[in-house]
Amino acid sequence: MADLEQRQMLADTADRLFADATKSAETDAAGFDAALWAQAVELGLPSLLVPEGLGGAGGDWEDACVVLQAAGFHAVPLPLAEHLIAAQFAAVAGIDVPTTMLSFASAVEGRFSASRTFEGRLLGVPWGRHAGAVVALQPDRPDGVPLLIRRSDAFEVEPHVNPAGEPRDTLVTRGSPFLVGQPRPDGLLLHERLAVARCAQIAGALRAALQRSVEYAGTRKQFGRAIGQFQAVQQQLAQFGTEVAAASAAATAACRAMARLGNGVTAADARFTIGAAKLRCNLAIGVGTSTAHQVHAAIGFTREYDLRRSTQRLWSWRSEGGNDRDWSDRLGRQVCARGAEHFWSDLTARDDAASSPRE
Amino acid sequence: MPTPFTFDPVDLPPGIPAFRAEIREWLAREMPRDYPSHQRANCWAVYDADFSRRLGARGWIGMVWPKTYGGHERSPIERYVLMEELLAAGAPVGAHWIGDRQTAPAILRYGTEAQKQRYVPAVARGECFCCIGMSEPNAGSDLASVKTRAERLPDGRWKINGQKIWTTLAHKSHLIIVLARTSPQDEKNRHAGLSQFLLEFGTPGMRVQPITDLVGEQHFNEIFFEDCIVEADGLLGTEGDGWKQVTAELSLERSGPERYLSSMSLFHELLRRVGPDPASDAVRQAIGRLSAEIWTLRQMSLSVAGQLARGEDPYVQAAIVKDLGNVFEQALPPLVQSLADAGVRLEQDSDFVRTLALLLQVSPSFSLRGGTREILRGIIARGLGLR
Ligand SMILES: Cc1cc2nc3c(=O)[nH]c(=O)nc-3n(C[C@H](O)[C@H](O)[C@H](O)COP(=O)(O)OP(=O)(O)OC[C@H]3O[C@@H](n4cnc5c(N)ncnc54)[C@H](O)[C@@H]3O)c2cc1C
Repeated sequence: MADLEQRQMLADTADRLFADATKSAETDAAGFDAALWAQAVELGLPSLLVPEGLGGAGGDWEDACVVLQAAGFHAVPLPLAEHLIAAQFAAVAGIDVPTTMLSFASAVEGRFSASRTFEGRLLGVPWGRHAGAVVALQPDRPDGVPLLIRRSDAFEVEPHVNPAGEPRDTLVTRGSPFLVGQPRPDGLLLHERLAVARCAQIAGALRAALQRSVEYAGTRKQFGRAIGQFQAVQQQLAQFGTEVAAASAAATAACRAMARLGNGVTAADARFTIGAAKLRCNLAIGVGTSTAHQVHAAIGFTREYDLRRSTQRLWSWRSEGGNDRDWSDRLGRQVCARGAEHFWSDLTARDDAASSPRE
Repeated sequence: MPTPFTFDPVDLPPGIPAFRAEIREWLAREMPRDYPSHQRANCWAVYDADFSRRLGARGWIGMVWPKTYGGHERSPIERYVLMEELLAAGAPVGAHWIGDRQTAPAILRYGTEAQKQRYVPAVARGECFCCIGMSEPNAGSDLASVKTRAERLPDGRWKINGQKIWTTLAHKSHLIIVLARTSPQDEKNRHAGLSQFLLEFGTPGMRVQPITDLVGEQHFNEIFFEDCIVEADGLLGTEGDGWKQVTAELSLERSGPERYLSSMSLFHELLRRVGPDPASDAVRQAIGRLSAEIWTLRQMSLSVAGQLARGEDPYVQAAIVKDLGNVFEQALPPLVQSLADAGVRLEQDSDFVRTLALLLQVSPSFSLRGGTREILRGIIARGLGLR
């Protein structure tokens, strides 16, 4: 909803906040930075996608895009993407959005009783140990009924982390209350929202890795000159640059499709766009991380050096929100079913329609 | 992050869907239904003078130029949509492509009133075809080292001596812009002393000799200039400004959708061949991945079009899209070849095989024409602040 100027201000605000925080903090990326979270909440960042009427900041996915790119760029140890998605999902499903930190479960196993208590396991919950409530889809329902499960004393955490050290926990409960929302409120699932969010974070993290690599190439000297003066190094970094550009274009376009969902963009269009974007971002991770490490050589392979804060996240995020196989299979199936006669016209129709929102 | 690495999405103006439908309807009429797939490949190198004239008559050459010069004063985004539709359909647009893309725009930007009157309306009608006289036998990537010389005669005319090479469609063109040296090379300022000239084919002293390409086609040529006399008003723009002008021309040359849309017919053939529900995971996943890449390239290409439409000069962005487009289009034919089932042999006579065989052989040229991969990455590296 924000105009371009407001969105730029939002981007700058997020960028400053995250830059300061990650500069001053001991950057063990995995640790949850509670103080930073409080600041982000104060600025309305986590509730960006919740309508103002429901107590949120009333922004849209294009706003979220700039914030998540900044978060990815600075590798902030916050469940920002997770909360954004969970809160929006709850809000559109008509569930009252609690004020605690929210996350979501990638899979659910257990029993839902008629008295609205859940007993079982919530799997793959990002930052689950810090979450006050978890959004999930009730299994065994074709439409996947949205649920919000409140954290209670009955919870136990089985801690897990991804290679970047970000918590991806399993929560086990002996009986926790839950709320039920309206099924398929806008046609998109949690998984698809996660993919969009990861695209924006990936674009940001790739930019950070590229910037770091370019800076390093400008300062590291061998054979009497900066390695960035060697054409072989320049050409690698240039190609890295094209991949970063591709990922960033893909992420921006996917976020725009989300922002226009129901307004020129159908859920089916959005699904194609999200899939294409996540897959393209995933591909960029391959070239980006290997080039960043090649240019940094041994120093980049140390625990102490900051490059890994970007690359470990990138390696992890490639599998989150759909890996290459998931999305390429889904897209491939869809494109084949439509056939040669429709490929190009579908491609153009999506952007033509997205360009003329009904307002 | 330097801005050349961000690509903002574009909002297409409201009339676009209707215009797109109009183009498709016209193409359905003007391109025979059974127009062969391998001719749709790399279609902006396919010469069809008659098709170009019909396109001109329809008002679809010189869409954005002033009406005074035979143009149609449409928006740059409309022109972009026309280009992508023609390319995606594989229309034979080679005859007028260069004139529409860069020659006439260069004349409109730098030419005299008389030059504009003489050439631009004819280009817009699809009657005057143009070519690019930049490369020489010893000046390829290092374009500033061209040796062709233009000498000013006492009466104000110019005498040109030298040679151009790889000149696409010179043997079928009417007009060429020749980059020549007008003062001796200065090693301290390599870009100084160059000028551009407009030469009409048939000028005495100009000889065209076709070169057969690797697949046996004739589209590029050598041109020899021997005491070739050009009138005083053959100079395009300002004497000595040739480098600045040729760089602007290259910006136009690199920024369009043809840099990723030369192989759509092969992708279409692949989809036809595998059918609506391929059993193979590898095939489905490859198609999904190719679709994602095409989608991304189109987003980026549209973004460059939007920047051009706003009057910006997306020099680095254009290089990025061309490089990514070239990488994609060079990976496509071998990938399709590797996915084709065991029944495929390249000596077979089918649309699929002919298209595949052609692009396998032709696609290596994609990262040469319009600037090599290494030169483009040099531009991108400069955009990153590395040079
Ligand atoms: C199909 C086709 C159509 C063409 N049409 C035209 C046309 O209409 N008009 C026209 O003027 N030209 C045309 N060209 C020529 C084209 O612009 C040149 O081929 C191109 O600029 C490269 O020049 P070259 O072939 O002399 O290669 P070279 O410049 O000799 O390059 C050879 C190799 O060395 C590399 N290289 C060169 N310099 C450097 C460097 N500084 N750093 C790193 N690597 C380097 C190149 O990237 C390349 O890989 C066409 C070419 C093709 C293939």
